[in-house]
Amino acid sequence: MTTPASHELETREHELRKTRMLMVDGNLTVNLRTVERGISARAYVDGYWGFGSEPLTDAAAGRERVQRQALANARSMSSFGARSPRPLPAVRHVGRQQYQGRTPLTSAECNERLAELHAWCKGRYPAVRSTRFLIGDEHHAKALVTSLGGDSLARIDRAACVFTLVGEDRAGAPIEVDEWISGRGTLADIDWSLETLAPLLERAHEHLQAKRDAVTARGGLQTVVLAAPLAGMLAHEAMGHPCEADAVIGGAITASLVGQPVASELVSMVDFAHTYDGQPTLIPVQVDDEGTPGRDVVMIERGVLSGFMHSRETAARLGQAPTGNARAYNPHDEPLVRMRNTAILPGTSTLQEMIAGVDDGYLLLKTGNGQADSTTEFTFGVTLAYEIRGGKLGRAVRNTTLSGSAIKVLKTVDAVGDTMHWECGGYCGKKQPMVVSMGGPALRARAHLGGQ
Amino acid sequence: MDALQSSAEQALALMRQQGFEHAQVSVSCTHRHEVCVAHNEASLLRSTQSNKLRLTGLLDGRRADIEGGELDPQSLQALVQALWVSAAAAPQDAANAVSSAQRAEVTRGPQQADTGMLADAMRELLDWRARHTPSVMLEEALAGHTHVQACTLTSGGSALRCALGWYDAGAFGMAREGTQSSSFNFGGGNADSLAGEPIVVRFGLEDMLRALTRSVHTEPIGERCTGAVVLTPRAVGDLLGWLFGQLGDQTLINGSSVYRHSLGQAVASPLITLASRFDAPGVSPFSSDAFALAPVTLLDRGVLRCFALSLYGSRKTGLAHVPVEAQGWEIAAGTTPLAALVGGVPRGALVDRLSMGRPAANGDFSGVIKNSFAIRGGEVGHALSETMIAGNVAQMLRDVSAVSAERIDMGSVQLPWLRVEGLHFS
Repeated sequence: MTTPASHELETREHELRKTRMLMVDGNLTVNLRTVERGISARAYVDGYWGFGSEPLTDAAAGRERVQRQALANARSMSSFGARSPRPLPAVRHVGRQQYQGRTPLTSAECNERLAELHAWCKGRYPAVRSTRFLIGDEHHAKALVTSLGGDSLARIDRAACVFTLVGEDRAGAPIEVDEWISGRGTLADIDWSLETLAPLLERAHEHLQAKRDAVTARGGLQTVVLAAPLAGMLAHEAMGHPCEADAVIGGAITASLVGQPVASELVSMVDFAHTYDGQPTLIPVQVDDEGTPGRDVVMIERGVLSGFMHSRETAARLGQAPTGNARAYNPHDEPLVRMRNTAILPGTSTLQEMIAGVDDGYLLLKTGNGQADSTTEFTFGVTLAYEIRGGKLGRAVRNTTLSGSAIKVLKTVDAVGDTMHWECGGYCGKKQPMVVSMGGPALRARAHLGGQ
Repeated sequence: MDALQSSAEQALALMRQQGFEHAQVSVSCTHRHEVCVAHNEASLLRSTQSNKLRLTGLLDGRRADIEGGELDPQSLQALVQALWVSAAAAPQDAANAVSSAQRAEVTRGPQQADTGMLADAMRELLDWRARHTPSVMLEEALAGHTHVQACTLTSGGSALRCALGWYDAGAFGMAREGTQSSSFNFGGGNADSLAGEPIVVRFGLEDMLRALTRSVHTEPIGERCTGAVVLTPRAVGDLLGWLFGQLGDQTLINGSSVYRHSLGQAVASPLITLASRFDAPGVSPFSSDAFALAPVTLLDRGVLRCFALSLYGSRKTGLAHVPVEAQGWEIAAGTTPLAALVGGVPRGALVDRLSMGRPAANGDFSGVIKNSFAIRGGEVGHALSETMIAGNVAQMLRDVSAVSAERIDMGSVQLPWLRVEGLHFS
């Protein structure tokens, strides 16, 4: 069902709260809390969009002002020429999303725990040059009213803790190992207690010692076992972005591949709206910022490209149904097509089996960040990796880069792990930042490693 | 501006009344208008207004910061009280401080948005694309105007006020022929006006769009080799990002900076001089810790003249404090024409974008070169696919063998092309 859409209006009241604390070697170098409230309106008039926003003070007067601004802006775009309005899918959602977590930690509780973690590291790892603990949480509350009758309250609440150990290699050059913990809610809802972090710190310290004698990876095409966090990044960056419908319309190579194999039959990939395996996802989107109810998007089903993520406008352009992927980051942003909880689905192999099956290759454990291209070519920084020789782990490998065409790489997948790993600590960048989650099991494939 | 000053004074008085020993208050109001293009069509006019109030409070060496957007007395009081709770719980650190006796008032750039100019700029870009690079799909493009009024006061007597206006424009897209696409690329920058000349001749956009049309069909570089790269100004920006990370608070405080003992020493080629342009469009004349920025030369013919530390970082490390910000820099033009710079490469690549993870803490990196072309015998040849280079960023800065006479002015940075020797291709 579509509407003529000669005049549509959506109005959003949006509150964004954040906490960010960074302790470097016992010094609290960041101790920041922010709150931003805004009201915005977006109008669609005769095929053009207008947007207006201002700080949320007097809601009634503000609503009227931003609606008037949005309508005026949309109408002024007609200077680009009259166009036939593209009918947009008529959708609406009425409902209020709730989240009930634990009582948030106080500043004093956060500081006590940071100091405890720092003291523990200082006592246990005297040779470590530096320790960093970054904690933060972020809370969005978006009340949306649309001219189609939508009336909703959406919430995103997420928290993260990342620690970094900095040491020196045998030549005195700095080396680092980090670890992330993330989840829904506030810093009270994720477990970053010393009791939980101690074994993770021990493991990170072991990796740091191994990196002191790290060797350079052999450059070129290699057999690699991607640990679960890298598979999540692969899902998001390499195939997720080219399956955002605005990228598809923009010329991404995926446009002509629907119904064709783009991966091994072992690979299925989904952008989950709000529920995975009967549980809420880390970034649950019941309704997006255009008022479209969220629904899952199966992008790859047993290796075959099957669908794209949509806003109402991209759905109209491609003649498909909207999926609830139109999301705005801050109170002054317009909705764009964005991922939510993107994952490769688990298979049946254990990580040990996957390593044992490699005669000569690499186990890639951690990634710093990644980039992808419209061609599905991707590049990830790999910050922790080990050689695999004769089915067993060998020496640590210096920081390197994993790259390739996602389609070529996914077609070489010959084993998929049986254990899912989800995380939601970072940001996706695309004009605006966005909170997303990524998930995946371990994968075994062939891809290019940087090296000499 | 008077209203911002009044809010800042009110907040500072509340903080003193609350008991803070030292305080900094920054209040700003930002208006932005932008005309956006999506998929080669004009799409959206966006107008936004946002307020920001940032309070920094120090109590017995303990520090906290808080930001809000509401300036009424009740909201100010609530922020001050929340800040008090955060600061009281923080650990003591003698390096915490706020600026003193900084006084400046700066009004710069166009203070009113001309939305007609924004629409004209996008109309010209769309027309130019259709005429000259029809295979390019502009997935996004925009022309915008930002106006910021800001007032910062500290308990040490600093009073900094500014009213800045500037225009900006940018484009993001790719070229497509049949079922084949180029890699995407993007470019843009800030300026005092978008009138006078089409935006496509600004910020290197014309070269970028034309290069996209030559990048649909690509080839690998061939066998592994060692050669030179010519980095475009956009790629040079990536090197500067790493350099500033090495000269800033975090790496110098924790001792991991590769330059921690390099003050006064050569850390880059003598062809490189990196100096500030804090008066450029869109660049703040003040640091975030409330210092008026004076011109500074960071690298003088390759020699490191100062670090990029905040007041806190300076007090923490004992290194001299020279107020700087991340934006507002230029590398001095060289003497080699761009054609000669490329002509001097027997084998290598012209690199516009490095796609990679963050370089390692010691500067080692490997990354895929995107939007890049092979160079053989001094001639630019075919577009490259799946080509990786590996090296060390610190070494690359030392191995710059030529700096172009031409530069691209992107507003917040103005950069030349650099030729760098000794990169490994695979």
